[in-house]
Amino acid sequence: MYIPEADIERLIRVLSEARSRATELAASISARLGKDHHLAELAYAASSNIENMLREVQATAVEHLDPGGGLVELQGALETETQPINPTALSPSDQMPTEVQTMASIAAEARLEPEHWLPMFVNDLISRLGSSGGITFEVAERLLQQRKDDFLRDFLIARRMYRTYPQLFPEIQGEAGPPSRETISQ
Amino acid sequence: MTIDARELNELTRKATELMSETSDVPTILRNRLGDQHELAKAAEQMLGSIKDFVQELRCFDISGQSFGADTFEGS
Repeated sequence: MYIPEADIERLIRVLSEARSRATELAASISARLGKDHHLAELAYAASSNIENMLREVQATAVEHLDPGGGLVELQGALETETQPINPTALSPSDQMPTEVQTMASIAAEARLEPEHWLPMFVNDLISRLGSSGGITFEVAERLLQQRKDDFLRDFLIARRMYRTYPQLFPEIQGEAGPPSRETISQ
Repeated sequence: MTIDARELNELTRKATELMSETSDVPTILRNRLGDQHELAKAAEQMLGSIKDFVQELRCFDISGQSFGADTFEGS
């Protein structure tokens, strides 16, 4: 018994979106009826179950990453991206530039690629702060979790692309072993 | 703090969409891992909680809401 990677990717995508929707629903109901209302409790219970399910699927996916599967570069990227980094100090800005400018600025100052998760996450925080006029730890945690989900999803897609179309990745083909079709087994 | 019919309909619609989008998660895991696998069981529990939520939303009686206390709280 096994779960193909395509299924894992789909599950992560579906559950990630479901978690966001459920969290928003719970917040809406809680704001209208109070957090102790029966409907709010059911909404939070559903949201919590989705969250737990997503974590278990993600854990399953990460645990079964093939250590010798010929994707040294991509796996290295996963480890690097999930490691804490020590960027240079970000200088505060008195003005609110556009989102793209913000990300580019943060990325440049932190010496990171614009597509790195950190500038995107910071931009998410700034956008949320601008739209709602405030931010909570819970919102920040949710945004960070979404970035983590997005990264894992992109990683799994990239890995599947490499295995399916290795000729498209000539720069890492010589360094990594031959691509092998991987399934996540029980 | 109250909820009107339009808001309730919108919340119910979104919750129903949520249920629909996650409805095949248990099936996928059950087919791949078997009925007894923990992930499959967790998925069933997750979908069950979403169904309970949707069912309660559909049955929610707007007219039964308490207005006095909520208005007094001013929120």
